[in-house]
Amino acid sequence: MPLILIAILPFLGALLPGLMIRAGRTVCAWTTATVTAAALIGLLVHAPAVLAGEVITYRLDWLPQLGLNANFMLDGLGLLFAGLILGIGLLIIIYARFYLSREDPMGTFYTYLLLFQGAMVGIVLSDNVLLMLVFWELTSLSSFLLIGYWKHLPEGRQGARMALAVTGMGGLALIGGMLILGQIAGSYDLSVILTQKDAVQASPLYLPALILILLGAFTKSAQFPFHFWLPHAMAAPTPVSAYLHSATMVKAGLFLMARLWPVLAGTPEWFYIVATTGLVTMVLGALIALFKDDLKALLAFSTVSHLGLITMLLGFGTPFAAVAAVFHIINHATFKAALFMTAGIIDHETQTRDIKRLGGLRHLMPVTFVIGTLAALSMAGIPLLNGFLSKEMMLEEAERTIWSGTPWLVPALATFGALLSAAYSFRFVIHTFMGPERHDYPARPHDPGFGLWGAPALLVVLVVVIGILPAAVAGGLVAAASGAVIGGDLPYYSLKIWHGITPALYMSIIALAGGAVLLALHRPLDRLWQATPRPEAKVIFDALMAGVVWLARAITAGVHNGSMARSGAVFAVTIVVAGYAAWAGGAQAPATRDLLPLAAVPLAGWFALMLVTLCLVFWHHQRLVALILIGVIGLIVSVGFVYFSAPDLALTQATVEVVTVILLLLMLNFIPKTTPFESSAGRRLRDGAIAVAVGLGAAALTFALQITDFAQPSISAYHLANSKTGGGGTNVVNVILVDFRGFDTFGEITVLGIAALVIFALTEAVLASPVGKWLANRPLNPDKAGDAHPLMMVVATRVMMPIALVVGTYIFLRGHNEPGGGFIAGLIVAIALVMQYMASGFDWAAARQRFPYHGIIAAGVLIAALTGVGSWFAGRPFLTSSFGYFEIWPIEEFELATAMAFDVGVFLCVVGAVMLALESLARLARRSGVRPSPHAMDVDPSRDVTAGGQ
Amino acid sequence: MMSADIQTLLPELMLALYAIAALMAGAFMGKDRYAPLLVWVTGGVLVLMAVWVGSGTGAHSAFSGSFVDDRFARFAKVMILVSAAAVLVMSQDYMARRGILRFEYPVLIALASVGMMVMVSAGDLMVLYMGLELQSLALYVVAALRRDSVKSTEAGLKYFVLGALSSGLLLYGASLTYGFAGTTLFSGIIAAAEGGVSLGLLFGLVFLIAGFAFKVSAAPFHMWTPDVYEGSPTPVTAFFATAPKIAGMALFARVVHDAFGGVVSDWQQIVAFLSVISMFLGAIAAIGQTNIKRLMAYSSIAHMGFAMMGLAAGTAFGVQAMLIYLAIYVTMNVGSFAFIMAMERDGRPVVEIDALRLYARREPLRALALLVLMFSLAGVPPLLGFFGKFYVLRAAYDAGLGWLAFAGVIASVIGAFYYLRVVYLMYFGNEPDDREALDGAMSPVLWGMLMVSALAMVIGVVNLFGIEPLAAAAAATLVN
Repeated sequence: MPLILIAILPFLGALLPGLMIRAGRTVCAWTTATVTAAALIGLLVHAPAVLAGEVITYRLDWLPQLGLNANFMLDGLGLLFAGLILGIGLLIIIYARFYLSREDPMGTFYTYLLLFQGAMVGIVLSDNVLLMLVFWELTSLSSFLLIGYWKHLPEGRQGARMALAVTGMGGLALIGGMLILGQIAGSYDLSVILTQKDAVQASPLYLPALILILLGAFTKSAQFPFHFWLPHAMAAPTPVSAYLHSATMVKAGLFLMARLWPVLAGTPEWFYIVATTGLVTMVLGALIALFKDDLKALLAFSTVSHLGLITMLLGFGTPFAAVAAVFHIINHATFKAALFMTAGIIDHETQTRDIKRLGGLRHLMPVTFVIGTLAALSMAGIPLLNGFLSKEMMLEEAERTIWSGTPWLVPALATFGALLSAAYSFRFVIHTFMGPERHDYPARPHDPGFGLWGAPALLVVLVVVIGILPAAVAGGLVAAASGAVIGGDLPYYSLKIWHGITPALYMSIIALAGGAVLLALHRPLDRLWQATPRPEAKVIFDALMAGVVWLARAITAGVHNGSMARSGAVFAVTIVVAGYAAWAGGAQAPATRDLLPLAAVPLAGWFALMLVTLCLVFWHHQRLVALILIGVIGLIVSVGFVYFSAPDLALTQATVEVVTVILLLLMLNFIPKTTPFESSAGRRLRDGAIAVAVGLGAAALTFALQITDFAQPSISAYHLANSKTGGGGTNVVNVILVDFRGFDTFGEITVLGIAALVIFALTEAVLASPVGKWLANRPLNPDKAGDAHPLMMVVATRVMMPIALVVGTYIFLRGHNEPGGGFIAGLIVAIALVMQYMASGFDWAAARQRFPYHGIIAAGVLIAALTGVGSWFAGRPFLTSSFGYFEIWPIEEFELATAMAFDVGVFLCVVGAVMLALESLARLARRSGVRPSPHAMDVDPSRDVTAGGQ
Repeated sequence: MMSADIQTLLPELMLALYAIAALMAGAFMGKDRYAPLLVWVTGGVLVLMAVWVGSGTGAHSAFSGSFVDDRFARFAKVMILVSAAAVLVMSQDYMARRGILRFEYPVLIALASVGMMVMVSAGDLMVLYMGLELQSLALYVVAALRRDSVKSTEAGLKYFVLGALSSGLLLYGASLTYGFAGTTLFSGIIAAAEGGVSLGLLFGLVFLIAGFAFKVSAAPFHMWTPDVYEGSPTPVTAFFATAPKIAGMALFARVVHDAFGGVVSDWQQIVAFLSVISMFLGAIAAIGQTNIKRLMAYSSIAHMGFAMMGLAAGTAFGVQAMLIYLAIYVTMNVGSFAFIMAMERDGRPVVEIDALRLYARREPLRALALLVLMFSLAGVPPLLGFFGKFYVLRAAYDAGLGWLAFAGVIASVIGAFYYLRVVYLMYFGNEPDDREALDGAMSPVLWGMLMVSALAMVIGVVNLFGIEPLAAAAAATLVN
C-alpha cells in the first residue's frame, strides 16, 4: 500500500462512523476498526523491508514553490510509531465500543478518533517538515475536539483550554523553528535535512531554531515547565486519555526529538536543555504522581515522568541512550495504555477513581487485578517485565553521564526518579487492589466483559513476552528504529534480562527497595506533602493568563483611549521621527543658493507674524480674539506675498481672508464664545513640545529645500515665455488660470458652485429638522445686543458700494495683463455685497437682490462652458482661447480675448457662491421673536426730524 | 489614441456611470423602497465587472502611462470587486432589518469600488490621489451611515478628520516627489530615483508611505481602526476589513515598486518597521478585547502587518506572497463577518465575545465553521491561513530579513491567543443563561458565506485554488 494511502486512510475512514452509526453501535465500531486495521495491514506489509534496513518513500509535489511537498517516508522509527499508533488505536476502538455509554454520540467520537489517528500517522510518516507541521497542528485540532467530547463536564473546559493554549503556542513556535531549520538546510525534506548536521550545527541560527523546535516538542510532550496541562486534560473520556495522553499524542514531541536527533543532538546546548528538562520532569512528575489520589491523575503524572525519562535519554545524545529511549517508548506505550484502560475499567465499574475510596478489589475483579498489577509492576521496573529492561538501560547510561563536571548528579537523580516511580506503581497496585474488601463502593464492582478487558490483556501479554524474550520479540524493531534515530551504526547493546552485577543493577535494587519503603511511609509523607506549600501550576497558569490579559488591556488603554488628541499626537510624533530618519538617511545636497540680505522691514514683519501667532496660541480660548488674530496673520501673509513680488497672490489672499473672517464671524454666532480648558498643564506642555517639534521640523525641511536649487528646471520659464504669445496676456498667473489651465479652473468653479449649493441644501435640511426649532428659539443675550444697524456703518457701506463695484470691474478688466482677474474681482464684489447685509440688515439687502444667487452661479458656469465650447466652432479643442486687439474711439487700443469671457464666468461663479453660502448661514442666524427692523438705520436724523415735527 | 485610452479605462468608466445612474434612479424614483433590489443589482454588477476585468489580457497603459492595466492591477481588482460584492449582498438583510438600508449605500460602495480600481491601476501620483480620495470619501460617509447613533457618527467623524490629515500628508509627499522628480508619472520617478534618491525625494517617499500606512491601518497610523470598526454598522465594518485593505496594499506595492523600485533599501526598512509594529500591536491589543468587532479591528491591523512583511521583502516573490496573503485574508474575513453579522439576541446585534459561550452546543455546524476560520486566522496549519503566513515569512527570510520573519513568528504566537479564546468560549465556556442565548436564525446568504469561506480554508490547501501562478504572474509584472 503506498504510504500516502496509509496516512490518508483514517481521514477517508472518518466519513464512515457518522454514516454507520445508523446501523448500530457495534457496526459502527467494527467499521472504524476495519479502517484502522486496513491501515495497519498496509503498514505491516512494508515491515519486513523496513526491518531489513530499507527506507520506503513516496513523493508527490504539492506546492513546490514553497518547498511543501507531500513526501512520505517509512523507516524504522516511522514503523515503530505508526505501528504503535495504529495498533493501540485498534485496541482503543474496541475498548471504546464497550466503554462509552448509550447517551454518548458514538459516531462523532469515532470520527474524531480517526481524524486524530490520521494526523498522528501523518506526523510519523512525513518526509517533509512542512507536511509534518500540517499534521502536527491537525493533532492539536482533533485532540481539542476529543478532549471536549464530554462538554457537560466543567473540569473538562479548563483542561481543554490549557491544552489548547499550551500546545497551540508550542506548535506555532515549532513552525518558526522548522522554517529556520529548512532554510539552513536548504530544503524542507527531512531526508535532506538529516544529512546536513554540520551545516545546521555551525549555523548562527542553530540555537534559535533549537529553542523553537524544542518549545514545540516540550509543550506537546508535557515536559517541565509545560507539564501541567496534561493532567488537566484527563477530563476526557478514558479511551481518549489512554490513546492521546499516554500512547500517541504526547509522544509526538519525543518522536520529533528522535527524528531530528541526527541533526540537532550532540551539542552541549542540546545536552543541557534536553537532558536537564527531561531529568527535572522525570523526578518532578514522579513526585507529584505519588501523592495524587485520582487514579487517572496518578497515571497522568507518571506519564509526565516517563516522558521526561525518554526526553532525558534523547538529551544525552549518545547512541546507546538513543537505543534505550526507543526501547522505553515501546515499553511505556504497552504498559501505560494497559494501565489507563485498567483505570477506565475501575472507574466504569466502581463509579469512582479516588484511590482513597478504593482497595480490596483483588477478589472482586480478579482479571482486572492481574492485568493492572502486571502493567504496574512493569512500570515499577520489576524484572521479567519489559519496564525493567529499559529502565536498566536508562540507569546504565545515567551512571556514565557527567553533568557540568558533577559525575554523581545524574545517576543519583535518575535513581531517585526510579525510586519514586516504583513507589507510585506499588501504590497503584496496593491501594487499589490489596487490603480488605470494602462495603462502601459507589457501585458494586465486578469484572467487565471481555470487550473491555480484552485490549489491556493483549497489551499485558506483550509486556510479559517482551520482558522475558526481549531480543526475540522486539529486537528487530528496536534495532531498526534506533538505526533510524542514530542515522549511523548501532552501538553495542544487548536486550537481555541478566547483564551481570552492574552499577545499574544496584541502582535498580535501591530504587525498588526504596520505593517499597516510601510506600510504607506514605501516610505521614502524604500529610507532610499536603501541608507543604507548593506552586500549583494551574493557579500559575491562570494567573499568567490573567496577567497577560491585564497587561494587554493596560497597553491598549494607554494607546487607545478614543481621544482624537492622542491619535493626533501619535500621528505627529511618528511623522517627526520618520522625517528625522529620512533626514539622517538622505543624501543632503550642498547649499547652492545664498541667503537673501536681511532688511529691517521684513524682519519687523517676521517678528510681527511670530508675535501674533504666539498671541493666538495664548488667547485661543477667546474665540473672537482668535478670529481677529487669524485675520491679522492672513494680512501679514499677504503683505509677505507683496514683498516676494507676488501681487496676484497677495490680492487673492487679502480678499479670501476677508470673506473667510466674515463667514467665521457668522458661525461664531452658533458656538460658545470660549474654548473650555480641558487639558492639564503637563498635557499642554507635552502637546506644546510636540507642536514645536513638528513646526521646527517643517521649517527645517522648507529651509533645506530652499537653500538648494530646484532639482528640475522650473516650469515658470515656459509660462513666462508663452504667456503673451500663446495666451495674449502678460499676467502669467491669470493666463494660467483662464488659459493654460483653463480646464482646471472650469472644474474648480463648478466645485465651488456645488459647495455653495451643498451649504444651501444643508441649511434647508437643518432648518427643517428639530435643530431648526432650537436655533429659532435660542434666548437672546440682551446685554450684548447693541445697535443692530449703526448709522455710521450703514452710510459708509452704502457709499462704498459703487466704489467697490468700480474697483471690482477695474480689477477684472486689468486682470489679463496686470495683477487682478475674475476670481479676485468676484471676491471684491462679494465683499461689497456682504457689507450691505451686515450693515443694513438681511431683509433690507435681500429685498434689493433681484437675481437669485443660484442663478448667478449657474450663469457663471454656463458662460465658462460656452466659452470653451465656442472654440469647437473654430475647429479647436475645448477651451482653446484666441484674442485680438481692437480700437473703439475714444478708448485706446485694447485687447479682447475669449479668455475674458471665461473670466466672466469665474467672476459670476465666485460672487454667487460666496453670497449663497453667506445667505444660507445668515438664514440660520435669524431667530424667532426678533422682528426685522422696520428701518434700515437704527438712528435716522431725518426720521427724528419728522417725528419731532409731529 | 483617445479611444484606446478610453478602452483601457472602460470597466472603471462603466462602473462609475452605473453608480451615477443608480444614484439618479434612487433619488428620483422610490428612494429607499428599491434599496434591497439595488443592493443585489449592484452586487451583480460588481461580479460582472470582476469577470470582465478578470478576462482581460496583456498590459495596457492609458493617458500617457498615468493609468495602467496589467496583471497585477487585474488580480487586485478581481479580489476587490468580488469581496465588495460579497460584503454588499451579505449586508442587505442586516441593514434592512435595522432600517438603515438606504439606496445611497450600494451606490457609495460602487463608487468606493471605482476609487479602489483606479487606485490599483494608478501610474501617476495624481491618478493615485484621485482614486484614493474617491474611495475615502465614500468610506467616510458609509462609516457614519447610522446617523442616529452617537458611536457611528463619532466613528465617521474621527475617520474623516484623521483621514484628511493623512491625505494631507500624502499630498505633501506627492508634491515633494513631484518637485524632485519633475514628474508625477511613476515611470518618470523611477528614472529620477535611479542611482539614489535625494533628500527631497526621500521625504516625499516617507510621507507617501505614511499616508498609505494610514489607509491600510498599519500601526502607528492605525488609531482610527478600532473606533471605526466598532462604531460603524457591522456590514460596513466587514467592508472596511476587506476590499479597501486590498486596494490600499496593492497601491502601496505599486508605488514602492513602480515608482521607487530602484531604491528598495530606502523603503524596505520603513515598511519592515511598520510591519513589525503592526503585527505586535495588533496581537497584543487584541488580547484584552471583549468586543468582537474591536477584536477584528486589531486582528486586521496585525494581518496588514503580515501582508507588509511580504512587501518589505522587496522582491517579486514578496509581492506574490502579499497577494496570496491578501486573498486568503479577505476570504477568512468575509466568513468571519458573516458570522458576526448573524450574532444577535432577540433581533438586536450582539458584539460581546462572551455571548458565544457554549455556542457549539446549540449550533455545532456554525461553531465548527467559525472554529476553522479562527484557526485559519491564527495561522494554524493545515488551514489556508497558515499558507498565507508561510508565504510572507518565507519571502521575508529569503530577502535577508530573518529578524522580521522571526518577529513575525513570535507575533503570530501571541496573536493565536485571542483567536483560540473565541474557540475556547464556543466549546468550553461557562454555562450561559437561557436569556443570554443567541438567536438561532441566520439568513441563508450569511450562512452560505460562512460555510463557503470555512470550506475554502479546508479545501484550499489542495492547491490554493490555483491562485499561486496567477499571483506569481501578477507580481512579475510589477517587479522586474
